[in-house]
Amino acid sequence: MAAGYRHIGKATERADARDIVTGRTRYLSDLEVPRMLYGRVLRSPHAHARILSIDTSAARALPGVEAVLTHADAPDWRVGTPRVVRVLDSTVRFAGDSVALVAATTEAAAERALELIEVEYEPLPAVLTMDEALAPGAPEIFPEAPGNVVSAGTPWFGPECLTGVRMGDVERGFAEADAVAEGVCGYENIPNPLPAEPPGVIAHWEEPNKATLWVSSQAAYQDKVVLFFAFGRQVDVRTIGGPCGGSFGSKLMSVQLALQATALSRAAGRPVRLVMSKEEHMAAFVLRIGSRIKAKVGMKRDGTVTAVAGDWLVDTGYYSMTTQAQVAVGCGEAQLVVRSPNWDLRSTIVCTNRTASGIVRGFGGQELKCSILPVVSRVMAELDIDPFDFFKKNYVKPGDGYFWRDGQWYTYRGIDYTTAMDAGAAAFGWKDRWRGWLQPSAVHGTVRTGVGVGVHGNVDIGESVSEAWVRLDPHGAAVIYSAASEHGTGQPSNLIKMVAEVLQLPLDRVTMTPADSAITPFEFGPVGSRGTWAMGGASIAAAEDARRKLLERAAPTLGRDPGDLDTCDGLVFPVDSPENAIRWNAVIGREGSVMGEGRFDPDFTLANCMMTFVEVAVDSDTGKVDLRRVVNATDAGTIIDPPGLENQLNGSLGSAGIDSALFEETVYDPATGRVLNANMIDYKWRTFAELPDMKNVVLETPVDSHRFRAIGVGEVATAPGPSAVLMAVSNALGMWMDEYPVTPERVLAALGKVPARGRGAGGTAAAATDSDDLAAGADR
Amino acid sequence: MRSFRHVRATTVAEACALLAEPGTRARANAGGSDLLGALKDGIYPEPPDLLVDLKTIPGLDAIEADEAGLRVGALARLADIARSEPIRAHWPIFSQAAQAVASPQIRNVATLGGNLCQEVRCWYFRYPAGLGGSIDCLRKGGPRCPAVKGDTRYHAIFEGRGCFAVCPSDTAVALAALDAIVVLEGPGGARRELPVQDVYTPLGTVLEPGELVTAVRVPPPAEEARSAFLKFTVREPIDFAVVSVAASITLRDGVCTDARLVLGAVGPRPYRALEAEARLIGGPIDERAAVEAAEVALAGAKPLRGNAYKVPLARSIVMRAILAALEG
Amino acid sequence: MDEATQIRLTVNGRGHTLAVGPRSADVAPSDTLAHTLRHVMGLTGTKVSCDRGACGMCTVLLDGRAVLSCSLLTVECDGSSVTTVEGLADPETGGLHPLQQAFVDHTAFQCGFCTPGILMSTKALLDENPEPTVGEVQEALAGNHCRCITHYHVLEAVQDAAGRMREAALEPGPTVSESSSNAPERDVATGTR
Repeated sequence: MAAGYRHIGKATERADARDIVTGRTRYLSDLEVPRMLYGRVLRSPHAHARILSIDTSAARALPGVEAVLTHADAPDWRVGTPRVVRVLDSTVRFAGDSVALVAATTEAAAERALELIEVEYEPLPAVLTMDEALAPGAPEIFPEAPGNVVSAGTPWFGPECLTGVRMGDVERGFAEADAVAEGVCGYENIPNPLPAEPPGVIAHWEEPNKATLWVSSQAAYQDKVVLFFAFGRQVDVRTIGGPCGGSFGSKLMSVQLALQATALSRAAGRPVRLVMSKEEHMAAFVLRIGSRIKAKVGMKRDGTVTAVAGDWLVDTGYYSMTTQAQVAVGCGEAQLVVRSPNWDLRSTIVCTNRTASGIVRGFGGQELKCSILPVVSRVMAELDIDPFDFFKKNYVKPGDGYFWRDGQWYTYRGIDYTTAMDAGAAAFGWKDRWRGWLQPSAVHGTVRTGVGVGVHGNVDIGESVSEAWVRLDPHGAAVIYSAASEHGTGQPSNLIKMVAEVLQLPLDRVTMTPADSAITPFEFGPVGSRGTWAMGGASIAAAEDARRKLLERAAPTLGRDPGDLDTCDGLVFPVDSPENAIRWNAVIGREGSVMGEGRFDPDFTLANCMMTFVEVAVDSDTGKVDLRRVVNATDAGTIIDPPGLENQLNGSLGSAGIDSALFEETVYDPATGRVLNANMIDYKWRTFAELPDMKNVVLETPVDSHRFRAIGVGEVATAPGPSAVLMAVSNALGMWMDEYPVTPERVLAALGKVPARGRGAGGTAAAATDSDDLAAGADR
Repeated sequence: MRSFRHVRATTVAEACALLAEPGTRARANAGGSDLLGALKDGIYPEPPDLLVDLKTIPGLDAIEADEAGLRVGALARLADIARSEPIRAHWPIFSQAAQAVASPQIRNVATLGGNLCQEVRCWYFRYPAGLGGSIDCLRKGGPRCPAVKGDTRYHAIFEGRGCFAVCPSDTAVALAALDAIVVLEGPGGARRELPVQDVYTPLGTVLEPGELVTAVRVPPPAEEARSAFLKFTVREPIDFAVVSVAASITLRDGVCTDARLVLGAVGPRPYRALEAEARLIGGPIDERAAVEAAEVALAGAKPLRGNAYKVPLARSIVMRAILAALEG
Repeated sequence: MDEATQIRLTVNGRGHTLAVGPRSADVAPSDTLAHTLRHVMGLTGTKVSCDRGACGMCTVLLDGRAVLSCSLLTVECDGSSVTTVEGLADPETGGLHPLQQAFVDHTAFQCGFCTPGILMSTKALLDENPEPTVGEVQEALAGNHCRCITHYHVLEAVQDAAGRMREAALEPGPTVSESSSNAPERDVATGTR
């Protein structure tokens, strides 16, 4: 803990703690807006079909039903990159796609109304996998994506948006290498971030063009911006954020839901609450992107990478909202981990007839890394290089450079993370446990232990713009105007701590406004680990601005220069004679306030770093993989809130993180494209009963960010783990494992105890029994 | 969930009569932890218009143990079975199987009868109506099974016929190894008793309209019987079994005189590995005997295209269960 | 046999009589306890996430036992005593229950959506077993989903709370607030329902 701070670095009570433990916290589905209706969505059974007709007459006639919408009468609002996804469309593009919308006075009436809607479909051939989508002559999902390839780059990141990494001369690099490996590896289990609270929105349309939306999102102001464009710039949008029951990025993708609720509200003339059921959340919201790479990596004996080449296939599902952005960030992040002068990494975004992929913690980088690191591992193994040493050598160092998301070259000016990595390795006992590639650390009977390590980092800790205002009230209190709603990280409380530290106020004298776009300035939101530096930077700047103004106004009264003054606990005083203090109200007056403004502008020259060590135990009889130990190592510059940070790092397991290598996956029916495990029993998540020994090693090396010299590390916690698990299981078994998750089936197949199936879920047959014998009713 | 009438039964006869009444689509409700989920998912082509609460029938939750054996009412809750002293002492694998079900909250309401009669977990059968409509299948009276060419990682490797869903009940597996008898009562005072594994058919159960499981009887354990219940799941607690095994072995002077090996989650009913049992009887039980018996137990397995891994997996669980029984 | 026309429930110590019927203030036969608590009584502290009994967020105490309120019909809870997260704090002073205070002190939550359910599962455990091992706490919470992974802090908080509650129980004077302390004794062998 950095010394001398009053709040920073101390385990303080989170501002919303009492509300949470008493059940007073009101999440979206706890809100009631007067005259509110309940919305429901009729969903498609087909992965791809044209709607020939919809008969809604019986649904409209049902008592309590106030509005029914189909593609014929829904407004032409669109989302996506490019903008191809409508509120409702005459074509459905995945099993679970929206077909019709209902708003009714009760949930039961809305649900009953859905059952009364008759739809006639003309099924179209579907492409359920990237291979099918890219096959010559494959049916196309959108005319805007010819060959089912989605246009590269996002306008949000500018005209030179990163779509790959190209520099140097890879052929020369391969020629210089001591070893070269080539391979295909995928991270294609498209897990669900699965926050506890299902996605939802309440929309209230007021004629002629005003839309107010209560959102459950980690970035309520950003929702306003995205919706403004989705509404075709024709609607005056106000978004109101509140406590969000988990997001992990995903709820920034509630745009289509928001449009649907707004369309229903407009049709019904009343506010509409549209909250997904859990099965909708799991099958019709957003998943991780699918990722597969065919890569070639050259390396020298000392771990110097001489060249990286690869074709990265990215499965975005039925449409893309931010996939281009994820590709850009992923390509950037790859360069932080693998330092090479020669790159030829290209990406292709593929559209398939499955649930859309959206924002998930890890944002492109986790997916790319999980795919490419197993190939990098092969080269390391050939040269007998310890992966820890490799990562330590290759992770970005001060003075190194990288292309970031906007296609520009940046030079890293942050700290050297070698010390944190060493501390993590010591805590884990890496040197004792690492026995070499494909070597178990221990074998006891059928239980084989193995270790693995991964690393990840992100420059988005300084992405985009944050703005905040801080208002000083005469009675010695401060209010932060920020759209930083709570989604579990404690970010609002941390901003309160930072502002209280600047103003030297007790924590309970600093509050924050609701995240209401009618109240607060712009805020991009707590994404990409940017909360600490970017959002913190804006709040700190606002507090400093307010403090400066306060002292300037106090200067004449105290007869001193502002520079000679200080403030603490609602008093202003000369530094050299604190006994001459006056209260803030003597400066501000009873009527009035002091307002400070703060802003953070993007800065892509710092990066965070997370290294994760794992130990697994694999039962070679049952194929079960147990995660035994996890050590996360990082350097946060300065820790703002120790328990909050600890929580974030423990979160490396869940939300489609480390556990996506162990048991998390979305299972599709290979014939129909329907999600088979859209429930909380068949989708596997980490329980209380199976917890690995978890240790987080966090160093505090002051970093040149803002006055508290801190950076965020929360978002990246999930990213290094999955490939480390794959490495650990490979080592435990003594053979390469290339697919996520490492299910008992895959382990037993690797051990030769069952025939291996093809790549991907439900893949090609290892038919022990021919399926034709198993036709309906056949007697075996 | 579609609306329905709700009636509180006070006797078994009353409940059976209500359930058998022509023209109504009535269903019995005990703990409700399975039925309500199925109703919310809208999986039944004809959802019930009447629910008959069985919890209001007095005495149906009794747990009674004496020299004649154990008698457990169908409404006994799994949590109570798991912590019942006589069951823990004399029929420990029944207690362990009850404890192995789901979560504490579920065990606090879920009943023995409900656990035995719960719907299968086949994810085609269970596919929720809210995602484009439920999936028709053989079990629902449809023309074909959509699972057989789909993802069958949790499906049957034994005795599947048309439908390849597995019996999901953990207690049924332990009870089968204990030679338990299920008491069924039906309309007009009809009453019959069946070995637990005979309750199930590939497409459901043998229960007639209006018929209810009202109790389970378990004979007293053999003096020298030792037993074990092992449940392999993707995650330790709360999951349904991928494979479970109940083993009960009687040893006299180091020689196996009787054996029960019952596999769960491998077929439409608890699967008794008779040949493997026979292999064990008459010899000493050691690792080699266990390995051989496990080999025999799985020799007749017929996996589908997506669940061949369940064969070696089940083999190792059988082997471990035999050895664990020795310790038990 | 009968069909209920009204339902009597004691919720957080307060008696309620609800008519069975079609109005929004009534109980429909298909209404779950979670629905009645949240939408009829306004007790939105009880959360609904999966609505299928698989996530534990709707956990409440029914006659002292932890149960899933999404998977119980309200008409079948007639005559029962229910404790929700709103009933944990001292009804007189509003002071936090030691369990709640421990969760605050350990920041044993992140997004907080699963916290009410975790608190109620834990309350049921500590009522029955005031000195649980960590393993017993893990087992008691096995059915409670927390996606943020606050498990480690929760386990610390529960141990801390158990210690505080044991200490408080030793002290003379008012005992720890127990809003479900009037729950009927359970007879393990026969059940009570």
